[in-house]
Amino acid sequence: MNRLIMLFICMNLISLSEYSQSLFTLTGKISDEHKQALSGASISVTPSEKGTITNSEGYYTIDGIQKGKYILEISFIGYLPVIDTIEISKNTVYDIQMTASALVLQEIIVADNYADQKKKAESLNIEIVNDDYLKQNIGGSLMESLERLPGVTTIDIGSGQSKPVIRGLGFNRVVVVENGIKHEGQQWGADHGLEIDQYAVEKIEIIKGPASIMYGSDAIGGVIDIQQNEIPPDNSVSGAVDLVGKSNNNLAGTSISLSGRKNRIFMNLRATLLDYGDYKVSADSVDIYSYRVALYKNQLRNTAGKEHDIHFTFGFVQKQFNSKFYISNITSKSGFFANAHGLEPRNVDYELYDKSNRDILYPYQQVNHLKVINKSQWTGNKLKIETGFGFQRNFRQEWSQYVSHGYMPAVIPEDLAFPADLERQFDKYIYTSNIKSTFFINDKTTFVTGINVDYQDNRTDGRGFIIPAFTQTEIGGFAFAKHHFSEESILQFGVRYDYGYLHTEDYYDWFQSPGETNTTWSYLQRATELKKHFSNNSWSIGYNYNPENLSLKINAGKSFRMPTAKELAANGVNYHHFSYETGNPDLSPEISYQLDAGLEFNRKKTALGITPFINYFANYIYLNPTSEHDRLYGNGNQVYYYTQCKVLRYGGEIHAHYQIIKPLQLGIIAEYVYSQQMSGAKRGYTLPFSPPTTALINIKYTRLKLKFVENAYFSSDYQLAATQTRIVPPEEITKGYQVVNLALGGDVKIKNQSVSFSLQVKNLFNNKYFNHTSYYRLINVPEAGRNFIINISIPLSVKLK
Amino acid sequence: MKTLKIIFIIISLIVFLNSCRDTEETDNQKPLISTDIQDAFPLNCDTLYFGETFNFKILFTDNIELGSFSIDIHNNFDHHSHSTEIGECNPAPVKTPVNPFLIIQDYDIPEGLKQYETNLEISIPSGNENGVFDEGDYHFFISLTDKSGWSEQKGLSIKILKR
Repeated sequence: MNRLIMLFICMNLISLSEYSQSLFTLTGKISDEHKQALSGASISVTPSEKGTITNSEGYYTIDGIQKGKYILEISFIGYLPVIDTIEISKNTVYDIQMTASALVLQEIIVADNYADQKKKAESLNIEIVNDDYLKQNIGGSLMESLERLPGVTTIDIGSGQSKPVIRGLGFNRVVVVENGIKHEGQQWGADHGLEIDQYAVEKIEIIKGPASIMYGSDAIGGVIDIQQNEIPPDNSVSGAVDLVGKSNNNLAGTSISLSGRKNRIFMNLRATLLDYGDYKVSADSVDIYSYRVALYKNQLRNTAGKEHDIHFTFGFVQKQFNSKFYISNITSKSGFFANAHGLEPRNVDYELYDKSNRDILYPYQQVNHLKVINKSQWTGNKLKIETGFGFQRNFRQEWSQYVSHGYMPAVIPEDLAFPADLERQFDKYIYTSNIKSTFFINDKTTFVTGINVDYQDNRTDGRGFIIPAFTQTEIGGFAFAKHHFSEESILQFGVRYDYGYLHTEDYYDWFQSPGETNTTWSYLQRATELKKHFSNNSWSIGYNYNPENLSLKINAGKSFRMPTAKELAANGVNYHHFSYETGNPDLSPEISYQLDAGLEFNRKKTALGITPFINYFANYIYLNPTSEHDRLYGNGNQVYYYTQCKVLRYGGEIHAHYQIIKPLQLGIIAEYVYSQQMSGAKRGYTLPFSPPTTALINIKYTRLKLKFVENAYFSSDYQLAATQTRIVPPEEITKGYQVVNLALGGDVKIKNQSVSFSLQVKNLFNNKYFNHTSYYRLINVPEAGRNFIINISIPLSVKLK
Repeated sequence: MKTLKIIFIIISLIVFLNSCRDTEETDNQKPLISTDIQDAFPLNCDTLYFGETFNFKILFTDNIELGSFSIDIHNNFDHHSHSTEIGECNPAPVKTPVNPFLIIQDYDIPEGLKQYETNLEISIPSGNENGVFDEGDYHFFISLTDKSGWSEQKGLSIKILKR
């Protein structure tokens, strides 16, 4: 995204033809297609960096502009942005009528300006993405769509599930926030994704680096902050229809939204439906150990799925106060590759499984995530108060044919409390509340304080046991100050204190196992009751210096993370990995120190950014595979223990752009992470799922108008990944690869109706390659083959009388 | 100039960090389970007999030091799993287990060995207190680790029958 922003800035930096001391005023009126005044539209003039918004009658004034040629940008939520070149040699009037755009295409320019401003104001390295970027780069899941960003990778399973990884850290070390509330699913597992509808996303901010101050425990690796549904313009009804199709897994999907606002009340309604078949790889067989599994028509058997999402948002908007309610329900059902449940080779009834590529048979998972959020904001003269309250329920089931593992009975008894084929069930209830006050002490100093309180109740069921049921309470308070020494120089400092209480329940097997002597059979106790208290403080200090053409930032901080229930109390076989995982109740909260820097340099035709970091964990929580086997509890599987070790990590991202000729941009993004365990049994080894060094070379051609296509673009990505030789058991070295992706799109006007389209070709040459951070990597399943993705957005807009 | 200075500092930091990397090589090799020795037993598709003892003979090797191993023999009457080996072994029709045979054992490997040939007498009783064991398709699963925590699995399809 950095790159896109730079590209955008490059495009807009046009040299002043002459220099003069006299200053002029630019005024005008912005209205919509019905000639109604648009208040709050934003106008900016580059390179003067001046900007303003229209008043309630739609008028604007920008003073003090020097004589010269400028790029004028006008944007307003829900309308197509206007970009024009103007020559100022006297006081000038510029009026314009804007055309409504897709609701989903909001903030194209706003976000870019916003991104630029926000980046200059934050001392942490952040990436900002709007829904337009998402549409152009849409992948199988939200995280796949974001994977192109520097420093962001994913841990994938199948074509529709992925988890975020920021600079090599993932799972519980990355916080996902939606509408101000921390998203709680099963962050600890590798075999399921994020329960987020990417069509409902309007803007995403990605913080690379520890952000515990504002986001609490778990934000040790970074944050993905998702915002949706901005308030629609007054007295309007608008909507959008999105259609998506993918050739690789025969995905067909649609997302329909409808929103309206009458004075102070607004609402949005959105429904998303996705249905996809088994995905295809560029191989006709997969070797699971030495056993060769033939793939029918290159399809990865039983990886079909479907997703049904519904969102309802409504709220009240006033000048000083607004309150929004977000209600959403995300439901998905997706199959696991049938020939290997996890890493275990499985026999398959080929006739049944290959009959259809759209059916979802065993093994599969079903997830439902319900979310109710209220977000309110009151803005006074010197004070702003924001509150957020959330309720979430995450319900996930894994279904598979009953197989007796270890000492489980050969035939499952009928009188059990759970169905025989229910392998795992996690049922999670989360209550969150956040209060934040911002004090505007003077023009230069802002002071923020806040409190977060979370409570969660986790229940488990099914025949498999990994973690016990538990409840968890977290309370945190923070204070944060920001001081502008000048417009270019900003210092910020924050401190936070957290307290956590975790209560895990005991658990006994539902079947009997023999004791040490092989004679007495009993129901083994897997987990004992645990009551753990944790507390920690974190701090962060950052400085920004943004002179013209340059942005420099540096940030140092201490972040922490509370151990999870799985890390403390796991005691069971993870049949997905043939591992017997043993928790450690004596784990201490993970502490991380990080030094982050960012340097951005922009010139007329070039931009260069470098964002290095160095990070030290005093006690990283690591699941260590040992040389032991366990018979009694582990059923002959390799034993893995949760341990803590010192870890040093460093790396960074580089991005650069060069404008070859006006509409043609060349860009490069590269990312590198090095991790090393500095103590413990795996001293010298890296961390699990270490992303390889990658580079992406992009060439993009953009035109505001190309024949009948507006905002036309054509883009090609050449993606390179180095061989990953830094591995830790049970990983395998993953060879480097090269992939070419193409993308093109734009807006077309059919009569008075604007239609946006984007077409992507992923893996153009249908290369067979492996992704080191894919869950299926260990059983040699290659990545998806060539994929054509088409996305069409049709905006609708009606003005209310 | 300032910019250059900063870039220089960053580059030197990276060079410095790279130079103080541990030079000791980590063990990145899995141990191996091999049936490539004389009298290796059982092999994929072999048959064992109830009421008899067999000699489990297999070769374990590692580049540095072996860890431990385990065996797990369980029924595969429902054909739920297949072997990790090439080829199928004429499985009998699917049936419901009544009293299937099950054995799970873990074993240490003496310290300091790069190569270890098992010579393990395993007896399969003809039944237990619930009666005689079921004949049919079984799965013979071997797991091996090395000292560094690498592991290797081998799953053999076998039959256990009454003589």
